[in-house]
Amino acid sequence: MADDSSFLSDDLIRQLISVGEVDLLVGIPSHNNAENIVHTVEAVEESFQSAFPRQRVVIIDVDMGSNDGTPEAFLKPVTRKGASARGLTSLRTEHRVVARCENAAPATALRTIVATADLLRARACAVISAATSNLTPEWVGNLLQPLYRQDFDLVTPLYSRQRFEGLLARILLYPMTRSVFGKRIREIHSTEFGFSGRLATNCTNLDLWHEPAIQDLPQTSLTLTAITSDYRCCQSFLGPKLRPSAGHAPDIVTAVRQAVGALFWSIDANESYWMGRLGSEAVTTFGPDHEFTDETIPVNLDRTFELFRSGVEELSPILKTIMAADTYAEIQKLASLDERNLCFDNALWAKTLYDFAASYHHSLLNRDHLVQALVPLYRGKIYSFFLQHAASSSAEIEADSENLCLEFERQKSDFSERWKLRSEVTT
Amino acid sequence: MAEPVTERLVQPLAEKRSVATKAQTQWYKDAVIYQLHVRAFCDSNNDGIGDFPGLTQRLDYLQELGVDALWLMPFFPSPLRDDGYDIADYFSVHPSYGTLDNFKTFLNAAHARGLRVIIEMVLNHTSDQHQWFQEARSSRDNPRRDWYVWSDTDDRYKEARIIFLDTELSNWAWDPVSKSYYWHRFFSHQPDLNYDNPAVFEAMWGVMKFWLDLGVDGFRLDAVPYLVERDGTNCENLPETHAIIKELRRRLDAEYPDRMLLAEANQWPADVSQYFGNGDEFHMAFHFPLMPRIFMAVQLEDRKPIIEILEQTPPIPESSQWCIFLRNHDELTLEMVTDVERDYMYDEYAKDKTMRINLGIRRRLAPMMDNDRRKIQLLNVLLMTMPGTPIVYYGDEIGMGDNIYLGDRNGVRTPMQWSGGWNAGFSNADPERLYSPLISNPVYGYQAINVESQKRVPHSLLSWMKQLIGVRKSTKVFSRGSIEFLRPANHRVLAYVRQLGDERILVVNNLSSSAQAVELDLRQYKGYIPIEMSGRNLFPRIGDLPYLLTMGPYQSYGFRLRRL
Repeated sequence: MADDSSFLSDDLIRQLISVGEVDLLVGIPSHNNAENIVHTVEAVEESFQSAFPRQRVVIIDVDMGSNDGTPEAFLKPVTRKGASARGLTSLRTEHRVVARCENAAPATALRTIVATADLLRARACAVISAATSNLTPEWVGNLLQPLYRQDFDLVTPLYSRQRFEGLLARILLYPMTRSVFGKRIREIHSTEFGFSGRLATNCTNLDLWHEPAIQDLPQTSLTLTAITSDYRCCQSFLGPKLRPSAGHAPDIVTAVRQAVGALFWSIDANESYWMGRLGSEAVTTFGPDHEFTDETIPVNLDRTFELFRSGVEELSPILKTIMAADTYAEIQKLASLDERNLCFDNALWAKTLYDFAASYHHSLLNRDHLVQALVPLYRGKIYSFFLQHAASSSAEIEADSENLCLEFERQKSDFSERWKLRSEVTT
Repeated sequence: MAEPVTERLVQPLAEKRSVATKAQTQWYKDAVIYQLHVRAFCDSNNDGIGDFPGLTQRLDYLQELGVDALWLMPFFPSPLRDDGYDIADYFSVHPSYGTLDNFKTFLNAAHARGLRVIIEMVLNHTSDQHQWFQEARSSRDNPRRDWYVWSDTDDRYKEARIIFLDTELSNWAWDPVSKSYYWHRFFSHQPDLNYDNPAVFEAMWGVMKFWLDLGVDGFRLDAVPYLVERDGTNCENLPETHAIIKELRRRLDAEYPDRMLLAEANQWPADVSQYFGNGDEFHMAFHFPLMPRIFMAVQLEDRKPIIEILEQTPPIPESSQWCIFLRNHDELTLEMVTDVERDYMYDEYAKDKTMRINLGIRRRLAPMMDNDRRKIQLLNVLLMTMPGTPIVYYGDEIGMGDNIYLGDRNGVRTPMQWSGGWNAGFSNADPERLYSPLISNPVYGYQAINVESQKRVPHSLLSWMKQLIGVRKSTKVFSRGSIEFLRPANHRVLAYVRQLGDERILVVNNLSSSAQAVELDLRQYKGYIPIEMSGRNLFPRIGDLPYLLTMGPYQSYGFRLRRL
């Protein structure tokens, strides 16, 4: 473990001395969010006033080197006309603290929040993205309430989304997490989530904070740590998740690298937990477990298909190394089909992902390159999903998602065998 | 925070009045007031009820405590259905408490010790047993009929709230004698006087003159906002009510220039401040909203409630003064708080619903503080160092407990605990004859908590309170100075600088149950030396850097800031 015993700055410690013990903490990792962060703080404080007027509260902005005045905007007093008109008030001082972590990775930002929660003995903590433009006080309350009032340790969000939004979670992260770790948690890598003080204390000094694979999306590891350490997990419905504005959303390659890289790393790191577990169990869910909006979004399907086909062709040597021969053969066959006939079925998709995860485990090639090689296949699955569900109802899409999850669960035994087999060969 | 008492030179009031200067006519600003009930203080004739001769015997104790003025709860003849606030005769003394001559003797004895005497005056209503009301109800043609507010229906003044929600359903009560409704803002046996009738005003001024001529130093005027009723209003704080007060004040200043009027107006500071007028209405008024917020701040361990309410408090005329208190004979009123704040106060201080009455909490200071000496002291430091004239409720100086199983607010009106002997030294009557049972539980009972035992111990609460009052009176900064809040990042610390002329005192209070470090921005006092008022020890000179203090749980510091 690297020597980072003083990763919290003296300035932050000085601020925390004045804050003292708290009941609730909301952390806001930020980077050039000056425009939106005032709205974020307003919503958080209104949530405190409406749902937690008696509690000791603090909001911490972990700024990762903004040059647009984000910390100053965060600290600026806000006049909440709406809140005061409704008679909302907090009995206690509402603290705001800024931690300046210039050029820090998101993992450092999250670790700062977790360590702060631990130091201040917070009972319930929520992390909110400074870029979420439609944050409401209810979101914050829905994340904190289960932790503070019902003794849960982890709250992951549920959103209402357009049918073709959030596909990374729907067709990749959720089914795989569910089958491997056995918990039906839909959003393991969201920018909003909550955790208890107990979990924070457990996580503060874990080695995982230094792991390169989780630097950009550390929340996945926190979620999976909660699952694998048998903390009480639940999901809470927040509301519509708007797409990040241009410039704030990662491209598909980056998104897959970050999310899948963190997931594969966690699978690898927690083998003793999931190996031998079969099936999955539901977790307590507050509100609906899914909801679709009627929004329409533009998708360039032709380009998606083309990137799938060219990717399979260009990465052929790598894919052969990663995937079992029969899986690879099926993929090649798919790539040769006419675009109107592409059907990347659930069984093949599950097998593909398991092949990638096993190869990641066995380090058959550079792990980052391996994860990137998944991107064209993911595009193919997306394309197929669009074709299949162009006219589907919400219920049909949801039913298909459930079938996908069941397929992953069905193949988990084979995956475990592959995982072990290669291990034995290696040893 | 405490400082040895400097011996007071007692100047009898008669001498003071003969050479009254402006400063002396504003004596109420510098006073520490002690509130007591004659009935509860000391019984001289062994009938189980406190009386004026008994109170007179105990004046040396009050003088020694260091208070300047006594506020007596109602002692007039009364059916006592509202602890004397239902007056049946304004010109006499309730026979249980003695005679008018006994009162005069007491008054002279108090004045001889430099103690001023403030009495209650209930202007708003009388008892339904008062002769005026008996005449008024006797027929619709009676000359006194119009001294009260009558109606054939009970639907006038609908906007007026009901104050005693636990007992009253309406502000109108049916009078079966004259077959009409009469108006009452409080209990139905307390009909409101009709100040639209000039004769009522003259009659009440006559009452006040009677007591002023005897020598009383001031009146605490009860239920002031409700004197006048008007359709379409909430019948509170009306301009006509202010006009009545102004006329009373005008007459008082003209004929009795060193006397004082204290308003009981349980309202928000902006509304209460109207009762100071331009220095031509009340001399003093209670700051009701501050009191619950002091309790709230200590429980929350956060200065926010105190600072917020004081920031909402408007400036008042130079001759005026707020009156502040921790506990009194009534419930800890929660009318001037939000619903959220009220729920919090109930949950923290009155979990047992028996402790609640009306919109408030009927408990004494010590039990509310869980008998934690540190918390009791902290609250008293706040009382003595914040802007305003402090009132100490009898028994709180020794940490008396309460009896929540007695009805109404009688649980905080039990006999004063003078000693661990027979009836706590309050009375030689048989215990069964006492007007109220003594507090006798192992924690707050008179055997454990009493004046006699605490006088023997230099570090008792009583001894500490004497010292604190001494500190308060050692300077006029606390009574007349300005206040400036410091805002250290540590919100558990309430710090302020009181200043009068060149004199500055820094007060720092740790509101929390744990040790705290606090950095104070004292740069504007650079070069000053803080001298701690308890031990008179010097602290490091103030420089450019934040001034670091570490404080124990509930600890307070008072520093004189001196440039030496």
